[in-house]
Amino acid sequence: MPLEKCAVQISILSYLNSDGMVFSSITFLYYFLPLVIGLYFVCPKKLKNGVLLFSSLIFYGWGEPKYIIFMVLSIVVNYILGLLIERHSGSAWGKRWLIVSVVFSLGMLGYFKYVDFFIENVNSLTGLSVPLLKVVLPIGISFYTFQILSYTIDVYRKSTKAQKNLLSLATYVAFFPQLIAGPIVRYTDIAKALDSREHSLMKIRIGIRRFLFGISKKVLIANSLGELCKIFADSQERNVLFYWLYAVAFTLQIYFDFSGYSDMAIGLGKVFGFDFQENFNYPFISQSITEFWRRWHMSLGTWFRDYLYIPLGGNRVGKMRWLFNIFLVWMLTGLWHGAAWNFVIWGMLFAVLLMIEKLWLGSFLKKMPKSISHLYVMLLVIISFVIFDAPDLSTSAERIRSMFGMSGLPFTGVQSVYYLRSYLIIFVLAIIGSTDLPKRIIGRIRKTPFGSIALTGAEPVVCVVLLLLTTAYLIDASFNPFLYFRF
Amino acid sequence: MKNKKTNRMLVILVGTVWVLLAISSWLSPSQEISASERRKLAGFPEITLKSLVTADFMESFEQYAKDQFPGRFLFRTMKAYVKFYPLGQKDNNGIYIQDGYAVKMEYPLNEASIQNAADKFRYLYEKYMEGKDVKTYLTVVPDKGYFLSQANGYPSMDYPKLFEMMKANTDFAKYIDLSDILEIEDYYKTDIHWKQEKIAKAADKIRGELGEEKERAGQYKTIEVETPFYGVYYGHSALPMKPDNLKYLTNDLIDACTVYNWETGKTTTVYDTQKLTGNDPYDVYLSGAAALLEITNPNVNNGKELVIFRDSFGSSLAPLLLDGYSKVTMVDIRYIASDLIGDYITFDDQDVLFVYSTSVLNSSAMFK
Repeated sequence: MPLEKCAVQISILSYLNSDGMVFSSITFLYYFLPLVIGLYFVCPKKLKNGVLLFSSLIFYGWGEPKYIIFMVLSIVVNYILGLLIERHSGSAWGKRWLIVSVVFSLGMLGYFKYVDFFIENVNSLTGLSVPLLKVVLPIGISFYTFQILSYTIDVYRKSTKAQKNLLSLATYVAFFPQLIAGPIVRYTDIAKALDSREHSLMKIRIGIRRFLFGISKKVLIANSLGELCKIFADSQERNVLFYWLYAVAFTLQIYFDFSGYSDMAIGLGKVFGFDFQENFNYPFISQSITEFWRRWHMSLGTWFRDYLYIPLGGNRVGKMRWLFNIFLVWMLTGLWHGAAWNFVIWGMLFAVLLMIEKLWLGSFLKKMPKSISHLYVMLLVIISFVIFDAPDLSTSAERIRSMFGMSGLPFTGVQSVYYLRSYLIIFVLAIIGSTDLPKRIIGRIRKTPFGSIALTGAEPVVCVVLLLLTTAYLIDASFNPFLYFRF
Repeated sequence: MKNKKTNRMLVILVGTVWVLLAISSWLSPSQEISASERRKLAGFPEITLKSLVTADFMESFEQYAKDQFPGRFLFRTMKAYVKFYPLGQKDNNGIYIQDGYAVKMEYPLNEASIQNAADKFRYLYEKYMEGKDVKTYLTVVPDKGYFLSQANGYPSMDYPKLFEMMKANTDFAKYIDLSDILEIEDYYKTDIHWKQEKIAKAADKIRGELGEEKERAGQYKTIEVETPFYGVYYGHSALPMKPDNLKYLTNDLIDACTVYNWETGKTTTVYDTQKLTGNDPYDVYLSGAAALLEITNPNVNNGKELVIFRDSFGSSLAPLLLDGYSKVTMVDIRYIASDLIGDYITFDDQDVLFVYSTSVLNSSAMFK
C-alpha cells in the first residue's frame, strides 16, 4: 500500500461529524450560555471560578462524557508536577519532574492522536498486519495539552509560580471558551486574572460584540463556503473553474471558521473578565509567508517558537542546525494539525518556503510591488490548504494539477458557472472581510463627529441583527461543526 | 460618561433580545409536527443514565432545540430571504425560484439509478408478464426542472439521455412521450406535482395509446378546494410564496368507483377529501402513498383491467384513465417488494402502464 494511502483519517474531514457542544449551536446559545452567565454573575466572587470550572466540564462532557476523565487526570497530574517542579527548582529533580510532565502530556496526546497513524505506517513499511486500536480523539486534546505544557515549562523556567489552588489550575485548562479550539492561552497570560479579575460593562459590551461577530463569521460565511466545498466533493463535474472555486472557498472557510472561533473565545473570555491574546491578524494581507505565519494562528506559532524553536537554538546556531530547527518545528506544526501525511507535507511545505524566504527571497519580496508579493503569498497559501484538506497525497496532487489545467479538464461547466454566480457575493464579502479594509473604513468613519454617533447607535442594532441572523441560519442548518474541533 | 451609556445600551438591548429568545425557547410548548416541512418535530429526549453516558441525550437535544425553537418558520424564512436577496444565492436547500415556480435542483443524471429502474421494470415484465396476453406501456413524467433549469442557467440532469436510456432499456414496453405536450404551467408552483386539471391532455394521449379512442378532456367537473394548497417546496424553500389552488376532476363514473387499499383493508372513494386537511392535501388523490390499491369501476363491465406501476404522479393521473376499465390496480414498488406482487395480481390479460417521474427514476434505489 502506498504510504499516503494509509494515512489514518484523524483529519479535518472526520472533525466535520463531531457531536460535542459547539458555540454555533442552539443548545449553547440559548440554553448553556445564558444559564452560565446568569449563574456566574449571581455568584459571589469566591465561587466564580467554581462556576466556570463546573460549566466547562459540562461543556466538555456534552459530546463525549467519558473523555472528561482524561482531562481531569491531566490536570491533577500536572498540578502535582507543577508543585514538584517548583519545589525542586534549580536541582536535577526539577528537570526530571518537567520531563515527566512533558512525557506524560505528549504521551497522552501521542496515544490518542497518533497511535493508529503510527501502526498503519509500520504496517505499510514492514508488511505486518498489526490491528488498529481505533482510538477516538478527545475533543480539544491538542489545545489543552499545549496549554498544560506551557504551564509546567514556565514553572520550570521560573516565569511563573506554580498554582497552589487546584481549582484555579483546572479552570485555566478547562475554561470552555478556549478549551476545544483555542487560542492556546498561556498560563502566564491569565494567571493573575484567575485569582482576581475585573468585570465591567465595557468588557461585557466588547465581549458580546466580539462573540457575535465571531459566530457570524462562522455561521454566515464559513458554513456557507463549507457547503460549496461539500457540493464540490459530492459533484461529478470536474473542471478548472470548479477546482479553483473549491480551493478558494476552502481557504476562506478555514480562515473564517477558525478566526471566528477565536473571536468567540476572546469575546467570551472578556465577558468573564479574561483578556486572551489575539490569534489572527488578517493573515491574507501578508506580503510574505514569513509574515503570514506571524498573522495566522499566532498562539500556536508563538508556542512552537517559545517552547521548541528557541530551546533548539533558534537562529543563533550554525546554518545547517538553524535550517534543521525550522524543518523540525514546521514538520511538527503540520503533524499537530492531524495524524496524516498531508498535514506533514503541509507543514514541510511551509518549512521549505520559510527557508527560501529567509535565505534568498525575503529581501527580494520587499522590493517587489505589493500586488505581486501578495499574489505570491495567496497562491501558495491556497495550494497549501488544498494539500491540508485532501484525504491523501495523490488527491492533493491531482487537485493542484487540475487547478492549473494540467489534467486535460475543460475550463468551465454548468455547475461551476452556476455556483460561481450563486456564491459570488459571499466570495466578495469573505475576501473583503478577510482584510483589514472594513476595520480601516470604520476607523475613518469613527473619526468624524457624525460617523462616531452613527456607529455608536448602529452597534447594538447590528449586534441584534447578527444574533437573529445567526439563529436563523442555525435553525435551518445541518452543516455546522467547527473545522478545528479536534486539533 | 458617553461610553458608559453606550456600554449600557448595547448590553441591555442585545441582552434583552437574547434572554427573551432563550426564555421563550425554554417555555414554548412543544409542537408535534411542522406543517410546512411535513415532518414530525423532535421532542424532548428521554433522560436516562445510559443516554447521558452515551451522549445520546445530548445529540438529540440539539435537534430538539432547533425543531422547537419559537418562530422556527419565521427564522427559516429570514434565512431564505438573506440567502436569496442580499447574498444573491440562487437556491436555498436545493430549491430555486424561477418564474414563480419553486423547483428542486435534480442533478446530475444518475445513470446507475436509471439503469436500475429499467432493470427493475424488466424484472417485473419477465417475472409476471412475459408470454402472457399483456400489453405494456411506459411513460416518464418530467419534473419542473425539465422546463426551467437549463434555459435559466441552473444545473440539471441530462433529460434527453434519461428518456433515451429508459426507452432503450425497456423495449418490452411501448413508450408514450409526454414531454412534448406538457408545459411548466401544468405544474403547481409550490409543489413537486402536476395539476390534475391540466393533465387531461396527457391522460388522453395515454388513453389513445392504450387503445381508447374517445377524448375525455373537457368532460370533467372541476372541483376547487377552498383551502389554500402549500406544496412540499413551499416548506423546503421557506420563502413566503403564494399558495396554489388545488382542484380535482370528477364525473359520475369516477364518483361511483371504489378504492380498496390492500394494506389497510379499507375501502374509500377515488378522491379522499378528508386528506385535504392533513399534512399533504395532494393526498386527496387516491388517499396518497400506498403499496397496492384496487379501483373497481361498477359502470364499466367490459372486464378490462389496467395495472399501473406508479409513483405519486400516478395518483392524480389514474382517475382520468378509469373510463375504459372495469378494474385498475395501482402498484407502488417503493412500498411493496416486487416479488410479492404475484400474491395479489394474476397477470394474464391486462394493460400494464409504468408511470414514473424523472425525480423518482433518478433515485430508484428505493425500488423494492
